[in-house]
Amino acid sequence: MLTKKQKGINWILTAVLLVLSLFFLFPVVWMLANSFKPDAAITADMNTVAAFIPPAPGGGFFHNYLSILTNTNFLRYMANTLFYAAILILCGIVVNGLAGYALAKIHFPFRERWVLLILLLQIVPMETILTIHFLMIAKVGLLNTVAGYILPMIVNPFNIFLFRQVFLNLPDDVYEAAQLDYCSPLKYFFTMVLPMSKTVVATVSVFTFLNVWNDYLWPSLVFTSSNLLTAQIGLNSITSNENTTMGQTLAVITMVTIPVIIIYSLFSKQIVEGVTSTGSKEG
Amino acid sequence: MKKRSSSLLGMAFFGPALVLLTIFLFVPMVLTLIFSFTDYFALNPDLTHFVGLENYGKIFRDDLFVKSFFNTVCFVLIILPCQGIGALALALLINRVTHCKKYFKVAFFIPVVMSLAVVSTLWMQIYSPEGILNTMLGNLGIPAQPFIHSAKQALPSIAVMSVWQGVGYQMIIFLGGLQAINPGLYEAAEMDHASEWQKFKDITLPELKPLCVFVFITVTIGAFRMIVQPMVMTGGGPSHSTYTMVYNIYETGTVNWEIGLASTMAIVFAIFVMVLTVIQSILTRDKEEGKHVNKKAKGN
Repeated sequence: MLTKKQKGINWILTAVLLVLSLFFLFPVVWMLANSFKPDAAITADMNTVAAFIPPAPGGGFFHNYLSILTNTNFLRYMANTLFYAAILILCGIVVNGLAGYALAKIHFPFRERWVLLILLLQIVPMETILTIHFLMIAKVGLLNTVAGYILPMIVNPFNIFLFRQVFLNLPDDVYEAAQLDYCSPLKYFFTMVLPMSKTVVATVSVFTFLNVWNDYLWPSLVFTSSNLLTAQIGLNSITSNENTTMGQTLAVITMVTIPVIIIYSLFSKQIVEGVTSTGSKEG
Repeated sequence: MKKRSSSLLGMAFFGPALVLLTIFLFVPMVLTLIFSFTDYFALNPDLTHFVGLENYGKIFRDDLFVKSFFNTVCFVLIILPCQGIGALALALLINRVTHCKKYFKVAFFIPVVMSLAVVSTLWMQIYSPEGILNTMLGNLGIPAQPFIHSAKQALPSIAVMSVWQGVGYQMIIFLGGLQAINPGLYEAAEMDHASEWQKFKDITLPELKPLCVFVFITVTIGAFRMIVQPMVMTGGGPSHSTYTMVYNIYETGTVNWEIGLASTMAIVFAIFVMVLTVIQSILTRDKEEGKHVNKKAKGN
């Protein structure tokens, strides 16, 4: 039971946080409200509270959004990114998952050394080898191709290790039973191991998606052709165009954020667990 | 027989990953190290010489590299206290209140969800000379500020934006840590009529110490790797005031094709980040050992 004094403090702190959160969110509120306005209205509203209030719904409410969707390649960029994310999730689960399984359950030479190596690899920042990646992809003529973008990103020491840690806890007797039924190891992996480890598969998929969707540096190096751009690079090319209005810019960045919001609201539990347990993704 | 088939199977499962690891991690790492001792210029590879440690001396005499290094350090020094302490303060406040908890968690986490490119584009509008921030400041009687358009304010402006974007992430980490503290400790302190400050100083802070180390080091590493914000917002300017180490590596290597020099910078950068990572793993390993000891003590 809270005392009267404690209740008072509680209300004061809540009020402080409420004010703080409003200040904190003003850029986001401003972005959303003004993405529905023509530029003249954005400038006119700037000095009043109306800057944080969306216009009344009516004709032209979605004008900025519709003009971006019809006049630019934006939908194409979003579709591209979804496609790349899908390939990378599939390849990543197969390659890193198989490796994690081997390191957890199969006895083969130097296994413990490989595990140590995978652990050590995680401390090398990717920016170090960025130049060489770019040089390699350029030398083999894969600049401006989907393969050039995807190949260096499939293998991920962090995910291999994550898979290994989860597979270590799988029971061995299921494998022995499966072997008696002449189940091939590969079939066993895809029909038994992965379905038994839904949580880690979901975690890896979600983080891969967020990585691909938000990545900027690598796709900006590989892609120059407008047909292949990802949403983030496309967003930059649209908003740096002089003909793009402020309202359209705000509409673009809102649309780029929508898929991420959907992913976060669907998988918030996995994400928060991932953040609080390891927290080692980005700073 | 069985042993041989199992090692074949192991290599078959590990093989695809090993091939990709070799091509895209081991080889590039070794190449970066080798190229850092050469004057490799990708547009004229035939003229490559082995130059020993010359590049390493060269980059530290290069004003631009030194500037990009100090810009990066400066960025870290602004980010670290603001984001670390800010996140801790938010977590403490949110942990304390009983109403709208969920709303506060979501509200401060929203910028984390937005990508760096989105946040940078948004804040370019907010920081613009006639933008919403200058309008709001004007209403308070503060003259318009140039923000990202002046050499003096550009880096701090980007730092403020980065804190805004990142603080919610560390807040969630701290909230997780606060919830893991044994409530019995506080109950015992209340029996002894400990003040709020004493409870914070003697219970909360020591219990959160390992987490603080973790957060401070990951924030530092993240800030060290900064590049997207200046790429989108300022192009490294005005007068290279927002030019960071990674930006320098990126331009030297992929724009000017001076792979030798870029590799040297990349090695110096990697050493800094790896030293920080090793410090972190040493300091947080202590925490796990500590837990282990505690468990043992409880068992007895």
